Amino acid sequence: MVPALLVMHADLSAALLRAAAQVYGEVQGVATMSNEGLSKEALEAEIEDRVEGWREGGLVFTDFFGGSCHLCGLRAAREHGDIVVVSGLNLPILLDYLHNRDKFGVRELAERLQKKGQDSIRLQFPSAA
Amino acid sequence: MSWILHRVDDRLIHGQVLIAWGQRLNPRRIVVADDASAADSWERELLQSAAPDSEVSVWTIAQAAAGYAAEAAAPGTAFLLVRNLQSALALVEAGAAIPSFTLGGLHYAPGKIKVNEYLYLDERDRAAARSLLARGVALLAQDVPASRPLPLRELVPELAAS
Repeated sequence: MVPALLVMHADLSAALLRAAAQVYGEVQGVATMSNEGLSKEALEAEIEDRVEGWREGGLVFTDFFGGSCHLCGLRAAREHGDIVVVSGLNLPILLDYLHNRDKFGVRELAERLQKKGQDSIRLQFPSAA
Repeated sequence: MSWILHRVDDRLIHGQVLIAWGQRLNPRRIVVADDASAADSWERELLQSAAPDSEVSVWTIAQAAAGYAAEAAAPGTAFLLVRNLQSALALVEAGAAIPSFTLGGLHYAPGKIKVNEYLYLDERDRAAARSLLARGVALLAQDVPASRPLPLRELVPELAAS
């Protein structure tokens, strides 16, 4: 199973996991944390604590590209093997991760999730029909 | 034109800088003045990749002090980011004519005392703040453009006389 850590602003990680559990059922093996109140060094150290035990890599999900969660995720994962940092996490990505974390390797899963996330954003124009 | 924000923030480049300040002020360049980041090529590349809408330079404090006046006269706009008040003071002492710093994020660490939700200072920080104020450099607490800037002097009573 590909392990995962969610690092996002405020309470988003815990809230997103709770929302996922309402659709998926009970979730195990996913860690969550917030960047709130943490310096760059402290955030990096907290992320590193959670990923250094991953023997065969894993996924660090963050909320947006260029934020402290994303940048410190990259810094923390730098020397810990096959970790992919996935920015822009949304609920469809998290659900697809939960359904497929046993079926793919880290990189293959990350690429699948990127496509799933991009495809999950759709525009529809109900009044134009 | 050039310098439009001088920010003290231990996260350097991150969401508040890119989204809150960046999308409001659209800097053409972001200069990170930080010796540790400048000494690490991996970190330099990371910071340069983090802000696709701006050109990011990662300089040592000495390089930033030496290049400050030229950048001040350059076309377009720029942000200057330092990680702490000691770096801010070092830049000014090295000759950079910086009129003010915006204190946007100095997070908790053991020994640091809370000033507000995003500023924690220890004695070294307060000493650097005193030196900056004594040199006529204004220090304002403001994390994002939507919040009201407050002089650090008003938030830290012992700086009121500085």
